[in-house]
Amino acid sequence: MTFLAPWALAIGVVSALGVVFLHLVAQTRPAAYVLPTARFIPDQRSLVSRVAPRPRDLVLLLLRVLLLLVASAAFARPVLTPSRGTVGHIVLLDRSRVAADVAEEVRTARALVPSGAPLVLIAFDSTPTILDGTRWDSLAALKRSDARGSLTAALMAARRASVALSELVDSVQLHVVSPLSRWEFDAGTNRARASWPGAIDVQRTSLRADSATATWRMSRPIPVSDPLGPSVATMKTGVAGQVSQLSRGSLSAADTAFAHDGGTVVHWDSTMATRMAAEGLAVGDDVIVATLGRMPVPSRGRVVARWADGTPAAVEERLGSGCMRSVGVRVPTAGDLPLHPPFQRLVRGLLAPCGFTGAEVGSDSSVVAAIVGSPRALASARALRATVDHPSPLARWLLLAALLLALVELALRSRGPVEVAA
Amino acid sequence: MSAGPYGALLDAVRGVRWPAARRVNGATLGAHPSQLRGNSSEFSEYRPYRQGDDPRRVDWRLLARSERAYVRLTTDRATFRTSMIVDASASMAFPHPALDKWRLAREIAVGLAAVAHAEADPVGLAIASAPPTIFAPRARRSVLLEMMRALDATKPDGSATIAPLVTSARASRIVVITDLLGDADAMLAAARLRVAAKGEVILLHVVATEEIDPPEQAVLAVDPEDPSMRRLLDGAMRTRYREQFTQWLDDMAASSRAAGIRYVRVLTDEPAPHVVRRVAGETARRGA
Repeated sequence: MTFLAPWALAIGVVSALGVVFLHLVAQTRPAAYVLPTARFIPDQRSLVSRVAPRPRDLVLLLLRVLLLLVASAAFARPVLTPSRGTVGHIVLLDRSRVAADVAEEVRTARALVPSGAPLVLIAFDSTPTILDGTRWDSLAALKRSDARGSLTAALMAARRASVALSELVDSVQLHVVSPLSRWEFDAGTNRARASWPGAIDVQRTSLRADSATATWRMSRPIPVSDPLGPSVATMKTGVAGQVSQLSRGSLSAADTAFAHDGGTVVHWDSTMATRMAAEGLAVGDDVIVATLGRMPVPSRGRVVARWADGTPAAVEERLGSGCMRSVGVRVPTAGDLPLHPPFQRLVRGLLAPCGFTGAEVGSDSSVVAAIVGSPRALASARALRATVDHPSPLARWLLLAALLLALVELALRSRGPVEVAA
Repeated sequence: MSAGPYGALLDAVRGVRWPAARRVNGATLGAHPSQLRGNSSEFSEYRPYRQGDDPRRVDWRLLARSERAYVRLTTDRATFRTSMIVDASASMAFPHPALDKWRLAREIAVGLAAVAHAEADPVGLAIASAPPTIFAPRARRSVLLEMMRALDATKPDGSATIAPLVTSARASRIVVITDLLGDADAMLAAARLRVAAKGEVILLHVVATEEIDPPEQAVLAVDPEDPSMRRLLDGAMRTRYREQFTQWLDDMAASSRAAGIRYVRVLTDEPAPHVVRRVAGETARRGA
């Protein structure tokens, strides 16, 4: 048997101790002596205490203590057979494009969860999928997807799944098995993390090798004053490997030659005046809503970015062995938009060489530490539950017993004063 | 007849006579001098014949010797209806657990009833309880046993009144056995009326020795008929209590005697046969 409100039981115990104390104090008062001629005694205060040689009325004391304990046990909401076990587990398994080996992640996750423990297994990339956690062997066929991972979506899925799991367990441990690339975090990650009322066990796995090593470069650095600068500030520049060249004005012959030689020229004009307005812009999986300006783009070529209404915002077309990309997005020169990670991801996507699937970088340790949270703090079922347990009918019987005890106590007390043996 | 626990008492009071304090007014032949003078064989005196006297009561031999007509007077004896009124209020259940006051009251009632019954007097009983138990005066043999059973079956409790029982008693001699802690004033008023009607009222005031001198451990005194009355009995209060209680006892005795009631104070350490003899003996001396 357990109690849903053990504090009530604690209050009852403290009250019972108080009753015992008061009873002993009361026993120091003089015992009542039945005297028919008491009326001839001058009236005065009769509460003067006298130390009794030993406690009396032990039955009454026992009755009162029982009354308090039974009543407090009733209010403590007893549950005879708790439906919950001890610790449940939720495992977030990263199968996005950054995962080096999903099978390895499955093995890692399997080692984390004790056999037979309640488990919810969620594989995630850009969208989370709940898997059958009882059939580990079948998970060997789990494949990596080409979608970008979203830790925010995974955390929210874990939070939703925890509500049902909390009905079965006392607390829930959340495991994240993922390389945790930098681009799996977004603006909502911190809030999603805050919604989890406990620590998160992070098991970092390997980034995919081509993702971790394949990089691209800008042919030349972007000025710091340029709104696009912060997005590629840490990138290397040069002409080796896949290279992109940014043109912020009119295209030149050199740009065309660069594209013909296999490079990617990104024509992102910053000189054209246009009206700025709140716009939604999507590049692949990245979407931002910001004050932007629309600029015309060529009608031919492959669309690589679109406005919220479907209008192309960037197109690219092959040019020789390279490609030419035109971006019709005007970025405000004032404000902190260039500092926002989603915007930076979008810029990097638009500046990446044509056909480049994206370079993934692991998150630094401070970000991971923020995700982990307080060590050894499991999320309690109470904090996770959306519903509450119903106390057993025992509570009603305990209340009835307390009522009966109160009546007996009243009857005992109303028997009149205790006679002193003459 | 099985006297049960009263056997020793009945043995102790056997032979005790309890005459009426004055001539009784009754026609049934009994042991008490009657106010009536008739034709019994117990000669009393001569009285000159008056017109209207029964000629059969004229002593003709004396007329022949003295030539004067005298009427021969004899003393008639009659029975005396006696009723015991016993207070069964909660104050009589004292001290615990012996209940000496109630025990003594029962024994006195049975003892006096036995003495009266031995003289062929009808005896009755009224127990002041709620509801009261009343036995009309009877002279039959089983009346004592009935009284014993009724008294044994009664447990003193509550705060019943005695005055109505005094008023409604169908007896010329009423013995009230009480501690006077109930309706004392009303009872005295009712008794006063009975005395005025030439009845005889004997008030046995039962007082426990523990009431006169409460034990040392009695520090917080509680009235059994009013549990809310709690008084501290220590030091100076004990002295003042004794003073006030003694004063009250004296007042009760004086009030009773002033009303023509025979007041007898009885302490619980006095044996019941002794009380019976004292009550009957004083009456005999008074009657003499």
